[in-house]
Amino acid sequence: MSIEPIDLNSPERRRDAKLMIEGLSKTYGGGADAVQALPPIDLCIGLGDFLCVVGPSGCGKSTLLNIVAGFEPPTSGRAVLDGRVITRPGAERGVVFQQGALFNWLTTLENVAFGPRARGIPAAEARTSAQEMLEMVGLGSFAQKYPYQLSGGMQQRVGIARALVNNPEVLLMDEPFAALDQQTRELLQEEVRRIWQETGKTVMWITHSIEEALFLATHIIVMSARPGRIKAAYRSHFSENPDPLVGATAEFTAARREIVGLLREESQKARLQEELA
Amino acid sequence: MSARDEVLQESETYDAATVERRASRRDRWLTSTTFLALFALWFAVTGSGLWQPLIRPIFLPSPGAVLQAFLSLAQHGYQGNSLWHHIGVSFYRFAVAFSACVVIGVPLGLLIGANRTVRALLEPPIQAIRPIPKLALLPLFLIWFGIGNTSKIIIIAAPVFPLMVIAAMQAVRSVSDKKIQAAQSLGASRWTVFSRVILPACLPGIFTGIRMSISIGVTMLVAAELTATSDGIAWMSLTAAEFLSTDVVLVGVVIMAVMGFGLDRAIRALELRIVHWSGRD
Ligand SMILES: Nc1ncnc2c1ncn2[C@@H]1O[C@H](COP(=O)(O)OP(=O)(O)OP(=O)(O)O)[C@@H](O)[C@H]1O
Ligand SMILES: [Mg+2]
Repeated sequence: MSIEPIDLNSPERRRDAKLMIEGLSKTYGGGADAVQALPPIDLCIGLGDFLCVVGPSGCGKSTLLNIVAGFEPPTSGRAVLDGRVITRPGAERGVVFQQGALFNWLTTLENVAFGPRARGIPAAEARTSAQEMLEMVGLGSFAQKYPYQLSGGMQQRVGIARALVNNPEVLLMDEPFAALDQQTRELLQEEVRRIWQETGKTVMWITHSIEEALFLATHIIVMSARPGRIKAAYRSHFSENPDPLVGATAEFTAARREIVGLLREESQKARLQEELA
Repeated sequence: MSARDEVLQESETYDAATVERRASRRDRWLTSTTFLALFALWFAVTGSGLWQPLIRPIFLPSPGAVLQAFLSLAQHGYQGNSLWHHIGVSFYRFAVAFSACVVIGVPLGLLIGANRTVRALLEPPIQAIRPIPKLALLPLFLIWFGIGNTSKIIIIAAPVFPLMVIAAMQAVRSVSDKKIQAAQSLGASRWTVFSRVILPACLPGIFTGIRMSISIGVTMLVAAELTATSDGIAWMSLTAAEFLSTDVVLVGVVIMAVMGFGLDRAIRALELRIVHWSGRD
């Protein structure tokens, strides 16, 4: 089997961690309405790791990502990137949203050039690198279109190009392909895999799709129902396999079955929780 | 044609350009039909010299009589001033008041929406002023600002200004967090987020606010020319009413309607050019 359980907080991983999450927890609201979205969790993400986070709906995946992105403060603990505690959003952490985060008033090219421009790179240079990045995601000829003139899949590619052109150290993706159809999604997954192999970026990727996680990840964590503890962590090797049809192998199916089993338990718990609430 | 247009209406062809062209031709045709029908009704009930009027001219003069009154006013003016002077002076009062509201109110609203400190300082007073009936302040404005144009401009601006501020403020409040977060994650400074994200994202809301304020502004023009003046198009209508010159009253009304309508169209045209993305999120 090509996934194996792993301790994400082993001393070696702690030593080499690019992004370290230490005792991080989040409780929304206060008093009787307080909702604990995340219990204290620990997690080490190494340089070049592609970490996929799966878990039942409402277990706190987005909460975790939003804290790492710097959009929300944690209730306790901290997220540390290269030894610096994260307190606010920053260009070294590129974020790709599920949808609706493109700037409608800017053309595709201007959207992608936004980051470089915001960081003070001269307009001509920013446009050149934006155009190159658009070509890399296969949208070179759509540079002058507006986001609302593109399909959902194209918009997501613009979102990825916009994050990548800034050359961030870490890419944070919250279900970037959730709103896409199966074919488009598979195509984009292959593209992301190629880009990741070329650039070696550190990635934190939230998804509901176990296939997606197995196909892309070097590491997978499965979270429990809210509050989302880390129920299991795996090292996965399918992403190193160059075969785009790796999903059809027996190992893949076995790995998939293992994670589905874990998730199903948690989803049932989550459902029960909701009914009781 | 947008999805919204088709909610209560089906179209048979699917070629978007054809559908759009047909639909807009049809829209224009329907609109002119409405206007023509109203005009015909007016023509009919006033008799227009062809038959016995249903409504006496002193209440509703015929279209021909109104046109004649207009031509006569254009030629001889009204009470010592040319018609163009009356139109010009009203337009001046309206334009100064309205542009001041846009130029000051919109940035202020944006600031209130985007900055917590400014919001705490200024939002409560503006919300408190809003429900005061501004007409009640007319005598006060006359005492404070005299009988010249200043008091007229201020009475027009009085209800428009808070509306402008609130429209801009609401527009800021409704900018999606995601867009702001996306910009921050791309390395944008606070100023860049404001000028490159919040400001453009607010434009559709601001345009709506401006267009909604036009009719209120025109209404207040009438109030402003109610007393303490001897020129202006609303003043012309108001004084003509005292002499039961209904035709002159109607000339004034039509001119004010055309002014409001024309302004609305002009701003709408500007809106379509500038905020091409409006409603396509
Ligand atoms: N701003 C907020 N205020 C209050 N509660 C919140 C807020 N954001 C999230 N929550 C709660 O925190 C919990 C975790 O939310 P979160 O969005 O992190 O879940 P998720 O794992 O991303 O779910 P999904 O897979 O459906 O996206 C949920 O129970 C949610 O109701
Ligand atoms: Mg989520």
